[in-house]
Amino acid sequence: MAGPKSSSKSSPTSSETSVAVSTLWKSYLDQTPDRLKFIDAFLAFIVLSGVLQFVYCVLVTNFPFNAFLAGFASSVGQFVLTASLRAQVNPENRSEFKEVSPERAFADFALGSIVLHFFVFNFLG
Amino acid sequence: MIWQFSWLLLAATAQAASLSLQSPRFTISASDATQLRSDTLSLTKKPEPLTLGATDTLKLTFQITESDEGKGVQPHQTFLRFYDKESGEEGIQPVRVTPGGKAKFELNMMRPPASIPPTTHNPLEVSLILGSFVHAPAQYDLFDLYIPASQTPAEHPDEASFHVLPTIKHTFRPEQKSPPQSISAVFAAAVLSPWLVLIGLWSKIGVRVPNLFSISIVPFTALLGAFEVLLVWYWVDLKLGQVLLYGGILTIPTVFAGKQALYATGEWRAGRK
Repeated sequence: MAGPKSSSKSSPTSSETSVAVSTLWKSYLDQTPDRLKFIDAFLAFIVLSGVLQFVYCVLVTNFPFNAFLAGFASSVGQFVLTASLRAQVNPENRSEFKEVSPERAFADFALGSIVLHFFVFNFLG
Repeated sequence: MIWQFSWLLLAATAQAASLSLQSPRFTISASDATQLRSDTLSLTKKPEPLTLGATDTLKLTFQITESDEGKGVQPHQTFLRFYDKESGEEGIQPVRVTPGGKAKFELNMMRPPASIPPTTHNPLEVSLILGSFVHAPAQYDLFDLYIPASQTPAEHPDEASFHVLPTIKHTFRPEQKSPPQSISAVFAAAVLSPWLVLIGLWSKIGVRVPNLFSISIVPFTALLGAFEVLLVWYWVDLKLGQVLLYGGILTIPTVFAGKQALYATGEWRAGRK
């Protein structure tokens, strides 16, 4: 999963770990462009959605099973597509994705999302 | 024409000839040749049932004639039928008839023929069956006969398949039920809560979309929205063929709109950078 490139490293001891985490977080908030944060918010939303669906399935019931699979698969699939979009659009990754322009990445994202939604709606029933 | 009709008539009259049984007599004698019972058989009324012990012998004599001339005739088939009405068992015994129509049949219980069916304590109905190519067939009920009971016949190996098999009782897993409405409502709210989180985060980030309604990208976003609407419509109503058709039709303008929109955004990105 692509993450923001920052200069902090995590340390072995727990207080140093918490310091490192907070430094990481501060650095993320300061250095990440707004557009990437926008995509990150969407990623967090997708993860939260998927986790809650899974919790419901485990706690309450998996009936109807196809609906659970469709919903969970949509979370996972959308997460994968969005993460790959974020990786390709991130300006700091330009060296890795020379032949893919951000526009092309977005077009791929849109097409992939539509196909994913088609299969999800098919299975939802 | 007249000739053929006359032959037909002759054949018909020949066919009309029927067989009749003359002077049927029976004799039951013991193993030491003493006569136990002897009588003529009446064709209209059956006699008292005959009883044969394990060592007795039954002798039956009769003559078969053509009814109108009284001439003795040898029919093509002469059978004695032993029939147990209770169990349904039957045995057929062919009887030898001389060309003059005289017939004699002997049943020795010490050496019974294979044609006697398995018997219980019920009597066997004995009848004479005559068949012929040139006469009308005839059947005469002669008498009832008690003979010693035989061993029960062996059960046929396929016997079980001729009876109704036991009913198969299927047990099914109980139907899956939905959880109670209240729990469903709570979890529905829980699963929709990430939308609130998303809106909160997006408002905090304060995303700028200066060119959202620009003429170059509105067709593209509108067509993408149209795709989503098509998919929801497919979920509620459409069939697969229809959604694929409409989707295919929508793809064509989307491709052009997309190329145009993304070219514009590329230019803005390059221009801004």
